[in-house]
Amino acid sequence: MLGRLTLAVLASAVLFSAAASGQEVPRHQNLIVENPNGTIANPDWFNIWTPAGNLNQPTGLHQLAMDTFWYIDPDHGLEGVWDNSLASEPPIYNDDFTQMTVRLRKGIYWSDGVEFTADDVVFTAETHMKTDGLVRSAVYQLNVESVEAPDPYTVVFNLKRPNSRFHSLFTVRWNAAWIMPKHIFEGKDPLTFNFNPPVSLGAYTLHSYDPNGQWFTWEKRDDWERTTLARFGEPGPQYVTYVDPGPPDRRVIAQMNHELDIIHDVSPEGMFTLARDAPSSIAWFDGFPYAHPDPTLPALLFNHQHEKFQSRDVRWALALAIDIKAVAMASYRGAATISAIQIPPTGTHPDYYHIPLGEWLSKFEIDTGKQVIRPYDPTIGQQIAEMLRPSMGDAIPSEPDKIMRAFGAGWWKQDLEAAAQLMEKAGFTRRGNDWYMPNGERFTIRLMVEGDGRPVMTRAGTMVAQQWRDFGVDVTVENAQAAFFTRRNGGDFEVAISWSVETWGGHPDLSFFLDSWHSDFVVPAGEVQSPRNWQRWSSPELDKIIEQIREVEFDDPKGIELGHEFVKLMVEEMPTIPLMAYNVFTVMDTTYWTGYPTADDPYTNPVPNWANSRYMMVRLRPTQE
Amino acid sequence: MRSYGIYVLTRFAQFLLVVFIGISLTFFITHLSPIDPVEQMIAGMTAMGQSDPEAVALMRTALQELYGTGGPLMEQYFAYWGRILSADFGPSLSSFPTPVSTLISRALPWTVGLLFTCTVISWVLGNLLGGLAGYFRESRMLKLAGVIVMGFHPVPYYIIAFVLLIIFGLMWPVLPTSGGAAANLPRGWNAEYVLSVLRHSILPAVSIVLVGLGGWFMGMRALVSNVVTEDYVTYAELGGVRRSRILPFYVIRNALVPQVTGLAMSLGAIFNGAIIVEFVFGYPGLGRLLISAVYAGDYGLVLGVTTISIVAVSAAVFLIDILYPVFDPRVKLA
Repeated sequence: MLGRLTLAVLASAVLFSAAASGQEVPRHQNLIVENPNGTIANPDWFNIWTPAGNLNQPTGLHQLAMDTFWYIDPDHGLEGVWDNSLASEPPIYNDDFTQMTVRLRKGIYWSDGVEFTADDVVFTAETHMKTDGLVRSAVYQLNVESVEAPDPYTVVFNLKRPNSRFHSLFTVRWNAAWIMPKHIFEGKDPLTFNFNPPVSLGAYTLHSYDPNGQWFTWEKRDDWERTTLARFGEPGPQYVTYVDPGPPDRRVIAQMNHELDIIHDVSPEGMFTLARDAPSSIAWFDGFPYAHPDPTLPALLFNHQHEKFQSRDVRWALALAIDIKAVAMASYRGAATISAIQIPPTGTHPDYYHIPLGEWLSKFEIDTGKQVIRPYDPTIGQQIAEMLRPSMGDAIPSEPDKIMRAFGAGWWKQDLEAAAQLMEKAGFTRRGNDWYMPNGERFTIRLMVEGDGRPVMTRAGTMVAQQWRDFGVDVTVENAQAAFFTRRNGGDFEVAISWSVETWGGHPDLSFFLDSWHSDFVVPAGEVQSPRNWQRWSSPELDKIIEQIREVEFDDPKGIELGHEFVKLMVEEMPTIPLMAYNVFTVMDTTYWTGYPTADDPYTNPVPNWANSRYMMVRLRPTQE
Repeated sequence: MRSYGIYVLTRFAQFLLVVFIGISLTFFITHLSPIDPVEQMIAGMTAMGQSDPEAVALMRTALQELYGTGGPLMEQYFAYWGRILSADFGPSLSSFPTPVSTLISRALPWTVGLLFTCTVISWVLGNLLGGLAGYFRESRMLKLAGVIVMGFHPVPYYIIAFVLLIIFGLMWPVLPTSGGAAANLPRGWNAEYVLSVLRHSILPAVSIVLVGLGGWFMGMRALVSNVVTEDYVTYAELGGVRRSRILPFYVIRNALVPQVTGLAMSLGAIFNGAIIVEFVFGYPGLGRLLISAVYAGDYGLVLGVTTISIVAVSAAVFLIDILYPVFDPRVKLA
């Protein structure tokens, strides 16, 4: 009786579910990838240009079905970091950066057989210009005066004002402005059309998906040779399935059972378990710290609209009160890539910034009022490696260059005496071990962390709070959970552990994040700050650097010089305390597929929710035919 | 009969009041939350991509207009009641413009299918075992069953879920540990798909049933222990009525009334979903939907799910209240 009842109830569940036909997908032809956005609540929605489509993009939609003019690889790229994708050459600007011309590739087709031409680009731009509420409507509306197609393979954007970085709108870092198929969207409301099934410009097209949003399977197009990816060869996987594999423990189990080829991210403990018990699993680094350092820099962000963080001496004192080795151990259990400067230590950045600036950092001095110190210790990365060597053995590299790229170079050595002198220089007084501000009140700090949503950074924040408490600051850790972004954007914090620095990774240009740090964009306290200057720091010196960057071309070496000036200014002022790269424990199973990108073969970013991860497809090969 | 009619009307008025208060509280709690759906959406859109501050400021204004989150709170409150009364929860903010009802209707059958079955199985098994244990107090087998059931009862069900995951996912991987059914199977009334749904429901169901069993078991055993001391049971035994007849018809039947109330309330509560089990086993139910809505600040979706739950629990209590006097003459109308 009960069995029949069970059957009836569960079967009725099937009846109520929307139907989606699927066909058997052979496991050995199917690359199974974690979708870190989890189960998609609205899986029928493939309109990536709307805000709702934003949640659905890492289902393979933006990795496999979308395309745009250019890509910059966060690592080294298949043939260099810059790739002309739908464009046949880099952007062509006029002298005053008020016009950008794009030459398009010929012979590229949508998955329904219609040729991609300049008409699609013009339609995309004009649709955004006349529609409020699309993800990139405002960027088009602010920048584009008009757009025209003098021939089917040329597009000219006439801009409202000079913008030497307008091409970044169409340059994929994680994503970018994707091109719409005019023949599909024409006559439809771009805000309410669900674009299901999606017509693809990438090498794959939608095969099937779960009406409950747990998985999406894409199949290689028969005409993959008519897509931009074909320049690098035939994609290996016939099918790619993006799944929600569940919580971290479940992901580890799934990969050990060879049910999940690429884990997007897992806890450090999960990574260590796989490194120990799953011989077919590999990660970015062959040994410690395993993880791929994203071009993102978690830092301690001071809210500069709070009076207590106005003094550079106080900010530096708080930096010198930190033992970064302990923070690296607490957050990533040592598997961190530290950075003393406000540039992520990843991709090509060590070669452009960390290594060339090493000597300057070593000679950098601070006057504490009682002594002049050189706070930079270039050996801290090495020290972390040596701390881990007894327990991790051969997993720890021994060559200095490998250690530097894996663990980072140096950081600011913990110096509590100098920190105390700086506090006194700023007018603070110490009673017992407790610091008091110049107005006589106890020096308190509310340190906001994200909580369960970002456990590694939460652990880092908790360790910093403990160290500042030991130094005599009354620190309260605020676990903001889901309210973190609302509070950070609204300036409702004193110190937050988050990131306001994100770079291209492979390219040295810093405009991707730095332009938004201009003081023109800092709003008064109480108003919502737009990305990314969450610290709300204003500086005439910084404004000058930003304005100079705006005037040089994207690839001009002068941009790197200005980047160095930015780093030096940040070190002198310490408006945020940089910590480490955002390390992502992407783990890849070699049971069914080989050819994954690694630190030894860094042809692209392995983190599979990045649109750049499409380049992986042309290098992956099945282990079974 | 007239007094029963007044009783029903009074209870119905209470039902409406509870629903009104519950929905109103949920509305104000969600809207006073520090999570702003527009900021959550902007944070998601700009986390790794575009960040032109002027463009983001424009986008913020556009989204506020699109979502209708900019108006006064009371205006939104009355508008929400207007929508509820016309059986419309409005659009989901995080999945705009998809209606909340569409999202709920996708997840609801899975939650109802899993939790309804589990609730009924635990109720029947718990009461059966509890009744037997209360009546045959000297039985070693039943004492052992009691120890086992009571042993599982205090363990949080997500711990059981993780243990099951490790046993059947890693050590002895014979059962699926994620999803509602196997990927890429044609959906519909075919044996392969139905079997896949059943197989995928085993581990979540077992983790819920194992823990739920104890409560019903304890309740029934205590009730039966009291009932067996009643005069009519003693009289039946002295009168030579067979024990196999006394247990179901004299003992359990009389002890069952409060358990039926509990069952009704539990069935009402299934509309909340089983959040942690759904997460651990990747089960596509309402619990997951609710949590993602909370994190996204998607008021509309949170309100939609909780409104269904409030109405279901209140309706279950209302039904039990009005049926009590019918099937249990000992309940007197005031």
